[in-house]
Amino acid sequence: MQPTIIAQIVVSGSLIGLIYALIAYGFQLTYATSKSINFGQGELVMLSTLFSLSLLNWGLSYWLMLPLGMLFGIALGLFVERTAVRLALAQNSEGWILMTIILGLFFFSSAENIWGRDDHPFPSPFATDPISFLGIDITCQEITLASGVFVIMGLIELLMNKTLLGKAFAAVATDRDAAQLMGISARRIIMLSYGLSGLVSALAGILVAPITTAGPTMASTLILKAFSVAVVAGLDSGFGIVVIGMLLGALENLASFYIGSGWREVPGLVLLILALALRPAGIFGKAIVRKV
Amino acid sequence: MNKRWLFTHGTEVVLLGALGCLPLAINTPYALGLLTLLTIYGVCLIGLDVTVGYLGQINLAQAAFLGLGAYAASLSVTHFGLGIVAALGFSFVSTFLVGGLLAFPALRLDGPQFALATLSFSAITTTTLNEMEWLTQGAQGLHVTRPDLWGWQFTAAGFYWMCLAILALVWLTMRNLLNSQWGRAFEALRDSPIATDAIGVGTYRHKIAGFAIGSALGGLAGGLYAFNFQYLQPSSFGYDLMIILLLGVVLGGRKNLWGAVVGAALIVLLPNLLSNPVVFRSFALIGVIIALLSGLEKYRQQTLRSFQALAPILAMVILAVGALLIHNTEDWRKAIFALMLFAVVVGLPEGLMGFATRRLAQLFHIDADSLPPSLPLEKVLRPQTQSPQRLLEIQQLKHHFGGVKALNDISLHVMTGQIHGLIGPNGSGKSTLVNLITGLYSPSGGTIRFRGQPLPLGSLYKIAHSGIARTFQNLQLFSELSALENVMLALRDHYRVPLALLLLGLGKQQQTQAQAKALALLEWVGIHPLAQQRAKDLPYGAQRLLEIARALACHPALLILDEPAAGLAHPDITRLVEVIRHIRQCGITIILIEHHMDVVSELCDVVTVLDGGKIIASGTPEAIKREPAVVNAYLGVSC
Repeated sequence: MQPTIIAQIVVSGSLIGLIYALIAYGFQLTYATSKSINFGQGELVMLSTLFSLSLLNWGLSYWLMLPLGMLFGIALGLFVERTAVRLALAQNSEGWILMTIILGLFFFSSAENIWGRDDHPFPSPFATDPISFLGIDITCQEITLASGVFVIMGLIELLMNKTLLGKAFAAVATDRDAAQLMGISARRIIMLSYGLSGLVSALAGILVAPITTAGPTMASTLILKAFSVAVVAGLDSGFGIVVIGMLLGALENLASFYIGSGWREVPGLVLLILALALRPAGIFGKAIVRKV
Repeated sequence: MNKRWLFTHGTEVVLLGALGCLPLAINTPYALGLLTLLTIYGVCLIGLDVTVGYLGQINLAQAAFLGLGAYAASLSVTHFGLGIVAALGFSFVSTFLVGGLLAFPALRLDGPQFALATLSFSAITTTTLNEMEWLTQGAQGLHVTRPDLWGWQFTAAGFYWMCLAILALVWLTMRNLLNSQWGRAFEALRDSPIATDAIGVGTYRHKIAGFAIGSALGGLAGGLYAFNFQYLQPSSFGYDLMIILLLGVVLGGRKNLWGAVVGAALIVLLPNLLSNPVVFRSFALIGVIIALLSGLEKYRQQTLRSFQALAPILAMVILAVGALLIHNTEDWRKAIFALMLFAVVVGLPEGLMGFATRRLAQLFHIDADSLPPSLPLEKVLRPQTQSPQRLLEIQQLKHHFGGVKALNDISLHVMTGQIHGLIGPNGSGKSTLVNLITGLYSPSGGTIRFRGQPLPLGSLYKIAHSGIARTFQNLQLFSELSALENVMLALRDHYRVPLALLLLGLGKQQQTQAQAKALALLEWVGIHPLAQQRAKDLPYGAQRLLEIARALACHPALLILDEPAAGLAHPDITRLVEVIRHIRQCGITIILIEHHMDVVSELCDVVTVLDGGKIIASGTPEAIKREPAVVNAYLGVSC
């Protein structure tokens, strides 16, 4: 086996892995504030992508579509928070798991009927010729994808670390009740986190669609891997998900090359179960002391 | 009692009889197929209800277990030539084992993590079934012929009757199991795993058992599924089926055998209901009416948030409007399911049958089960008399949280028959000490000896079995269980009937005795009139006393009360003092953590004062009150 082929497999796999990391980042945002995640996040990715595709088909330019698509993602995120999460949080129950699954089902069925069951090609604003680097081909889409992921995560981290809003976010994440006593509206911060989570999932869809094509089922495998990444890395480490995301992407590319393409999904799932069994807080996460 | 007995058992017999006779009346293959599927899904949903209803976890693996069971049964017939009974047994046992294995990693998990683990398990299962073509023929599908039953070839009706018999058997055994100590333990570990361990019932084995049994019923249903369709494809056991199964349990009603069977009937009939526009429209209209009625009721009672009243109505109106506009309902099937699920989860969380049983009980004035008379207390709490000796000896106990020394070199001993007070300002390490003694934390150093033996450190469960019981500062009741059941669960020495006999329904007498014993304890602490109320509905003072009654049911030699008077009103405190004094008279040694100094001085023989993780004083209540270090710790000045 030639080293360049292995390197090629690893590099393109880990670049796709960045998308898993970005979706997993969306889980982290909502988990931080409300200890809940959207089990229908994949449908958010898919719906925002299809919506953006329609915008392009109506003649909008790529750069105009991008903010509108992300706005749509925010709106969906807020909708999920209102309909599926808020009630369960108020009741202190885990009802949001079932509710977000249900909402995802509804989104999926709507997308199937509005956009059809077929996959559509999704245009990319850049040239499609790959750039060769030390014998490894990297396409422009992959570069766009990587830079998009890092830019948006950097911006959100900047928001979290440098602004007063970010401090409020951290306060709610640390202790919701105490934050409320300090005059921070936990509800607004949770809404913000769901909005941001919708934004990153929309962006993830737009970035990955030129590679995977856009259709109702585009996110059903993506989302499983994003779950794996979020759990394996831990739900509180932004750095961790990028590392694990790239690792998983590379690993499954190798698996599908050496074992067979049908086994592509398996490494992520096995990693997920192993991580849950051995280190439920994740590799980069902190374990919590039980208190009574 | 008789009315209730007649009602519950009568309806069961009527249901079974009706299902048994139906093939005689309508004998079309199509109807028979639907009926068979109903029984199969019934078995599967009863299993799913164990995890979703009793264990309270979202289980996304039941469809995968159905598939595993189906493949196990088929392959055992084609490869080993098993008969139908053996094949079904094989699918039951193999999924039981796989379920138990999956539960091992999953047992540390709750909520979202559990859902994710089961989700990835089902994804792995479908992939594996698809890719292991040499065994399962992959996506092509696997044909299987239905074996004979001891030389007797099945007719369609015959096969249906066999499925029905299995459903009846599963129903009976599961009813016996879920009404026993096992069912209570399943619910307890959902409400408070810590307390489940602390009363010595054990979270892990019950969680594994519950999940394994639920999965095995899925596997058994899978075996029936295989012999019913005689053709299997991995893709039929994916996410779509999972959603449909969840729909069945949630729609029918959780923690309810009727709910599982009615849910099964609904998911079998729904595709047929949806395909006919007239039926579908009237169905949607009924949905709107139900949502409106229940929404109106909630609005009148003003007990719930407006979202809970309005959202189901909105969902049903969308469904009705959709029913008028859309013609290809098959394409919108998932959205229709989603709307219905949404409305039920938000507006009718107990499900259709949960709602119906409650309403019927009101309508026919059926009371809760009557209780046996309580046993005399001496038979429940045998007075223990011992010579005064060191019951608990703690030496140089340390505990660190990271760099914080919460406890530093604590040494003390507790004498048999005494009430030993433990006081100190907030954050002085009292609760940490109790958590170390009862095994919630493992100490960073030092030893604890109990009755002269070293304590098994760091295990709530083992320490509960060595004779230490505790209450919790922040209540850890099993909130969905009744007060009586909370106490019954803790009477763990009482249950001796083996599981096999329990399943056959031979645990009745043991159950009644447990009720009588538990009632005696509730009477003793004075909350017996509330025995059949759910723990979460009890007034606060009664909840505190219930925790004490539950701890006493463990027959402890040492009882640790962690701030039992916190937040109590004065009359409740008086009663609490009485109760604690009584407990001591029974010969039970007590460690009492308390902030109310009057309670401490009234009750305690010896008091140990902690501050900053160290013992600063020890002696009689009178002596320590005069100790300068104590005054300093509490008031910040020394006089």
